[in-house]
Amino acid sequence: MIRRGLGWAALAAVALALPWVIYPVLATDIVTWGLFAAAFDILLGYTGLLSFGQAAYFGGGAYTAALLAQRAGVPFPLNALGGALLAGLMAIPLMGLAIRRRGIYFAMITLAFAEMVFYVVNEWRSLTGGENGVQGIPRLAPGGLSLASPLVYYYAALPLGVLGLLLCWRIVRSPFGHVLLAIRENEVRTEMLGYPVRRYKLLAAVLSCTLSGFAGGLWVMNHGFVALDAVHWSTSGLVLTMVLLGGIGTRLGPLAGAALVLYLRDFLSTWTDAWGVVTGVIFIIVVLVFRRGIVGTLEPLLVRRPQAQAETRTQAALSPQGGGPVP
Amino acid sequence: MIRWTALLCAALLVLGVPASRPAAGQGAVRLMHGKMVIAVINDQSGVYADISGKNGVEAVKMAVEDFQKKYEAGGAGGMVDVLSADHQNKPDVGASKAAEFYDRDNADLVIDVPTSSVGIAIAHVAAQKRRLFFAVGAATTALSNEDCNKYTFHYGYDTYMLANGTAIAVVKQGGSQWYIVYPNYAFGQDMNAKFSAAVAHAGGKVLLSDPTPFPNPTEDFSTFLIKARSLRPRLQILGAMQAGQDLVNLVKQYNEYGLRQQGVNLAIGLLFLSDINSLTPAALQGTVFTTAWYWNMDKDARAWADRFYARTKVRPTFPDAADYDGAWQYLEAVRRAGTDDPDKVVAQLEGYRFNDFFARHGQIRKQDHVLLHDAYLAQVKAPADVKEPWDYVKIVSTIPAAQAFQPLSEVHCSMAP
Amino acid sequence: METILIQLFNGLINGAFYALLSLGLAVIFGMLHVVNFMHGALYMLGAFGAFLLGTTLGVSFWWALVVSPLAVAAVGYLVERTLLRRLYNLDVLYNLLLTFGLTLLVQDVMRLRFGIQGVPYPAPPQLQGAVVIGFMFFPAYRLFVLGFSVVICLGTWWLIERTRVGMIIRASTENPMLTRALGVDVDRWIPPVFAFGVALAGLAGVLAAPMRAVSPLMGADLIITTFAIVVIGGMGSILGSVVTGFVVGALSALVAVYYPAAANLLVFVIMAIVLLLRPAGLFGTAEGA
Repeated sequence: MIRRGLGWAALAAVALALPWVIYPVLATDIVTWGLFAAAFDILLGYTGLLSFGQAAYFGGGAYTAALLAQRAGVPFPLNALGGALLAGLMAIPLMGLAIRRRGIYFAMITLAFAEMVFYVVNEWRSLTGGENGVQGIPRLAPGGLSLASPLVYYYAALPLGVLGLLLCWRIVRSPFGHVLLAIRENEVRTEMLGYPVRRYKLLAAVLSCTLSGFAGGLWVMNHGFVALDAVHWSTSGLVLTMVLLGGIGTRLGPLAGAALVLYLRDFLSTWTDAWGVVTGVIFIIVVLVFRRGIVGTLEPLLVRRPQAQAETRTQAALSPQGGGPVP
Repeated sequence: MIRWTALLCAALLVLGVPASRPAAGQGAVRLMHGKMVIAVINDQSGVYADISGKNGVEAVKMAVEDFQKKYEAGGAGGMVDVLSADHQNKPDVGASKAAEFYDRDNADLVIDVPTSSVGIAIAHVAAQKRRLFFAVGAATTALSNEDCNKYTFHYGYDTYMLANGTAIAVVKQGGSQWYIVYPNYAFGQDMNAKFSAAVAHAGGKVLLSDPTPFPNPTEDFSTFLIKARSLRPRLQILGAMQAGQDLVNLVKQYNEYGLRQQGVNLAIGLLFLSDINSLTPAALQGTVFTTAWYWNMDKDARAWADRFYARTKVRPTFPDAADYDGAWQYLEAVRRAGTDDPDKVVAQLEGYRFNDFFARHGQIRKQDHVLLHDAYLAQVKAPADVKEPWDYVKIVSTIPAAQAFQPLSEVHCSMAP
Repeated sequence: METILIQLFNGLINGAFYALLSLGLAVIFGMLHVVNFMHGALYMLGAFGAFLLGTTLGVSFWWALVVSPLAVAAVGYLVERTLLRRLYNLDVLYNLLLTFGLTLLVQDVMRLRFGIQGVPYPAPPQLQGAVVIGFMFFPAYRLFVLGFSVVICLGTWWLIERTRVGMIIRASTENPMLTRALGVDVDRWIPPVFAFGVALAGLAGVLAAPMRAVSPLMGADLIITTFAIVVIGGMGSILGSVVTGFVVGALSALVAVYYPAAANLLVFVIMAIVLLLRPAGLFGTAEGA
């Protein structure tokens, strides 16, 4: 118990000190992408649904927050909440349709919807600015406070990001989350037990997308602009990468994955032009050697609680499949 | 060869020496942080890597070395560091790198930055941080219009310059009936608007204009080439606004469909030396385009290009030259101002007139911070006329600085009256 | 009307590339349950293979058409033996990520070696110029591409539907457990099948070299669309992927005529509709959805 408390205190210290170690904009990116990844993991790690279209919700939230601030003068963090709201509303019909399918089919439907969102954003130029994006978004704060400094913004966004993360953790540890785990492990059995599986899946998806939209809102205010690449499929791929590298279905995995990917991207941009080689090799090594991701590999070594071990066992990768048809 | 090595050594020596001296402030120039920092941000690994990329960074380093050599250490008041970052064509990476360079490395100037979305984002960062930004690689006129600001300078070219030069010249030569194909993203849409206006202004007619897919997974343009065929015999000019790999594909397929032999000539919105090199002059023979500079256009340009070649083993594109020139003119402005205080440097740059190997009749317009200078109408040579590697182009005519860029009456920048 | 016919026919040529690529993906997915994200990069390697054979050894297009796909197949075989096979009993995600990493690596290595703008590759002299068929005008090379890929697709179909090897592949795809129980060594067939699927991508790359820019990023955007085609056709369905490839090519061309901006979107709209109405794809069997 004490060790656990120490762990959390250390984490809090890291979070508070981070923008003094790395550039605050990067630090804020880690928080916002960490939240996005954690929200994504509600679906991937705890419900067994691989969405390949999360860019639509993250980007949708980002564009909404940007436009609310720029056109309607909505202050931070209300505009980010607006982004969350829009992402959640988008998710109700889109995810409602997508969750009728499973496995790779679910992934492809979500991708298809995300591509449609990409198309709309690119074509609706009067609103979104097309490929140039929404630029020069004012960082308005309530009560005349100034958020202009990246450092100040980090400390403004951090509690909101942490709140989001806590919410993600609360969701997956609640009775609701346990049903999601049951769905991941055996959907048919869960249905037999009398749980309305689809309704559970939809709620999980809507929650995940809402939080993704919120992350998008926090992210866009960090940069002051949003461009088309936020809704491109590579953004969906990036968040998937973060979760895989960090550790699927682990509490801190998404955050660690986000930190690793973003730090690497930032570091490589000034260090080499061969970032593709470095990133590619890291992916290959992680997949072959540290399959459970950073946290998934480290956690069993660090935490020697019996409970923790049981936990990691269920979380160990997604269920192996004997080469039968894809679930 | 020996001469260049010697020059290089000399330059390096000069660069190294000030560090061991009792630092800045010796000359007339006083620096805010003891040294100057110029940061080059561009695409070094993606689709635009061959346009400036690593060579653009090299050009800026060369400018700094030449400057140090010319004025000894006194000119710049101390060391000048050149930093660089690969924005990987990700706008958020580019913009946050720029902010980091300004905040943490005390960068005085960020330069280059191809891709409009990244360029505009950095312009806003520059305004917020009150530091200078020279946009070289980005073509959008938004940088000197709706997104203009006191600290951003558009240095080299823009979509207006490209469209105006080419469209008017081609229409004058009798190519009045156009079909424009443009990639469906900001640059392409902007080019389409600018070309359509310029063609109409010159008395020509755009019969049709089509966006081509973005992104373009099939890399195929045959649909549009067949459309072009069906617009004959009226159609005279196929206006291609693509860039990078899209352009290479389009030109390759334009030749495949034999449109030139059918009397449909090609006009290209934006063509870099690296594009011609990769497509070969045979594929582009006779193509007319506007360029901000050409390495073999005269003796001064050639002399600089030779020195550049000695370092990089390639001939410079015009953004390479503009990167060098932008860095040079910035350092000159610092020297004139006697400080790197951004506001004072801006005051020195505004309205400044100069002539150098890159910019002829150069003038930095006060109202929108566009570098006005002569632009050139160029034509790709026939393969038989290419006498020297990389010398693919002949300059047809000069577009005077006063006509090459957006007239002040059309500028809607907040700094313009 | 004429224009529509010409555009439809022309769309089939793009469809030929879709068909070859999705055919390879479908065969691989059917047998290995691997979403080969590398497929686009292997297509690029096929094109560069032709270029390198031509410039260093003076090999003609026709020989390149044979040798380059074989070389790509060898690369694929090596990747399968050394890397992919370690991940077969895990979720498809892991091989997806692995092949994604390989893609980044291969693309970047090629960029460092050849630059981003790419290299020129001419059409074979026998096929330069254009052919006029009735009211239709076509570059001779494109007609060859169409004909040749139809032959390859038919050949593959024959191989899989009519030969003993094909029977084993079909059986292992549909029910690996049962096939094993019947005494067939399913695993033995995995490497050659992967190499074959990958060779088809290499072949598409050689065919593309004279018409498209041979550059490290060619094919980078292709994988998503191609995979969508496989899904529409029905995962693992040979016929489905080929037919869908040609149909999507032709339809995209039509959309591009009237509303170019949406040409890209078409395949995703079709995929969403198909998956919602007929989850197993147009030609797939109902199970697994």
